[in-house]
Amino acid sequence: MELSEQTFAQKFDLYGCFQCGKCTGGCPVSLKSKLNIRRLMIEAILGRNLDRLGEREELWDCTTCKTCTIRCPRGLKPMDLVIGMRGMLVEEGHIPKTIIEAMENTYKHRNPWGKPKNKRTEWTKTLPEDVKVKNFSEGDRAEFLYFAGCTASSDPRIQEVAKALLFSFQQGEVDFGILGNEEQCCGNEIRRMGEAGLFEELVEGNVNRFESYQIERIVTMCPHGFNVLKNEYPQGRFDVLHTTQLLAKRLEEGKLSLKKEVKKVVTYHDPCFLGKQNSVFDEPRILLKAIPGLTFKEMDRSRERSLCCEGGGGRMWVEASSDTGQRLAEIRVNDAVELDAEILVTACPFCILTLEDAVKTSGHEDRLRVMDVTELLVEAIE
Amino acid sequence: MNIIVCIKRVPETTDADISIDKSGKDIDKSSLVFDLNEWDSYAIEEAILLKEKLGGTVTVISMGGEESNESLRKCLAMGADDAIRLTDPAFNGSDGFATARVLAEAVRKIPYDLILTGTQAEDDGYGQVGVVLAELLGIPHAAVVNRIEVQDKRLKVHRELEGGLEEVVEIDLPALLTIQTGINEPRYVSIMGIRKVAKKEIKSFGAPELNLKADEVGLSGSDIRLEKVFLPPVGEAAEILEGKPEEIALKVSEILRDKGGLS
Repeated sequence: MELSEQTFAQKFDLYGCFQCGKCTGGCPVSLKSKLNIRRLMIEAILGRNLDRLGEREELWDCTTCKTCTIRCPRGLKPMDLVIGMRGMLVEEGHIPKTIIEAMENTYKHRNPWGKPKNKRTEWTKTLPEDVKVKNFSEGDRAEFLYFAGCTASSDPRIQEVAKALLFSFQQGEVDFGILGNEEQCCGNEIRRMGEAGLFEELVEGNVNRFESYQIERIVTMCPHGFNVLKNEYPQGRFDVLHTTQLLAKRLEEGKLSLKKEVKKVVTYHDPCFLGKQNSVFDEPRILLKAIPGLTFKEMDRSRERSLCCEGGGGRMWVEASSDTGQRLAEIRVNDAVELDAEILVTACPFCILTLEDAVKTSGHEDRLRVMDVTELLVEAIE
Repeated sequence: MNIIVCIKRVPETTDADISIDKSGKDIDKSSLVFDLNEWDSYAIEEAILLKEKLGGTVTVISMGGEESNESLRKCLAMGADDAIRLTDPAFNGSDGFATARVLAEAVRKIPYDLILTGTQAEDDGYGQVGVVLAELLGIPHAAVVNRIEVQDKRLKVHRELEGGLEEVVEIDLPALLTIQTGINEPRYVSIMGIRKVAKKEIKSFGAPELNLKADEVGLSGSDIRLEKVFLPPVGEAAEILEGKPEEIALKVSEILRDKGGLS
């Protein structure tokens, strides 16, 4: 270990920990994983077992939902400790194969999903003809950069969300452009998987592009991208919005007209990176409640207490270390089913993918659909 | 144990759109990304694992242009001690035999107990360089190796044969092994790891330093001459399905059922 035990505790500011256990108590994956964040804290303080981190498969179970850090009464950052430990394993090179693939894809293609760079904007080719997309990399200029993100650029299901979004931007008279094939991974997940060097490289590349096109305002539908662009990119240079914030504003200004009735019972799942980490709770609800005919029901675990879907922190690229215990996304789906909801709405690509899988694996395909807020808005616009 | 690993930097073609370049003898690589040949990543990992267990040094050699430094540095970051690049315009167009001849001259300058290569390269896939190199050096070899056990001055190695068969052979050192994928799990090389070896010297040798004449290498030193590269013509039986993923999946399952692929 290059890092001495003392500096490890100092680096992650662990000495304030009084072992109250609130971190583990709030940790969603502690329901099913060996991961015990309180124990990791004390072991790191005492310098115990740090040379055997490689044996701790459960370090990769953490979804970086940040509940531990948000709830710590001493203001410590247990989540950063997990990321730091992952970072040590990354530097040694001994990490799960699927994580290696995601990182190498990001290095080579600037996309953890591995879609080649020159195919990044392929999804825009199937947009309806009346949806016009400006492209900064082709000389266009616009008020907002729409940062599509890797998942919307790669996954066919999320591309549907992106298409709905561009349609609602057009209806809401949002002047936006994309970065085209020059867009690259935002680095949120890469940083949380412990690849600090690659993260730095991605930030530098993206910031250089933003600046070369005089981009000041950025809007994205991915809460993971939103989080990192807003909180971890150079501060004060870019005004970063989540799409629900921008659309709620347009609605308030009377620029979005939602006339068509959607007679459905709907509930909303707060994505961790949008809700508890960035306090965007109201905008998605404002949008949903503005849809005529819609019945909105709130789940018990909502807003700050929303249950993580297990999609964050690199978990899109690695399975949980133990297969005991229910998938949290399945628990979430059951919560929605119990409310008699017909549509489980969320506002995050990862949440959509994990929840949609859970609808299938829990056998609820006939009674529950998973949709993005924007997709439902589009139904009300036409 | 002192180990030499021969590696190659290759373009990645999975998921990429491939087209033929103007010469008609190569693919257009301008929009492709490059990486260490997959088989070679297992070979270098195996060498590092042996070094970690038994001590000694690992030297990595690549024939190629300056861009090969990228792959050599990746190997240094994984734990190789030295890197050598063999670069000369005269080497261009070398087939497997000529490539092995160039590598052999470089290898002769270095003391070694074991040479590892990948079983084949992802790009031209001849699978010749390793075995020809062993022949030129006059040392025994085993190809398609998926397990190595070290015994005093010899190795016991497992060779992957067809249909799940494995052959176990004993081989005296010094020897050359061509390494099959799956023998280990190549470690990840982080950006910080690459940065740490960014300034490490990579020695470079051309034909004169290797005492090779121009007609012994490159096209003139090769037995195989590439005539033409072309994309396989689209056959009449090929049917491209269009639609949403679920529609395509449905059509595929219907076709499979109709043609007797599903029972």
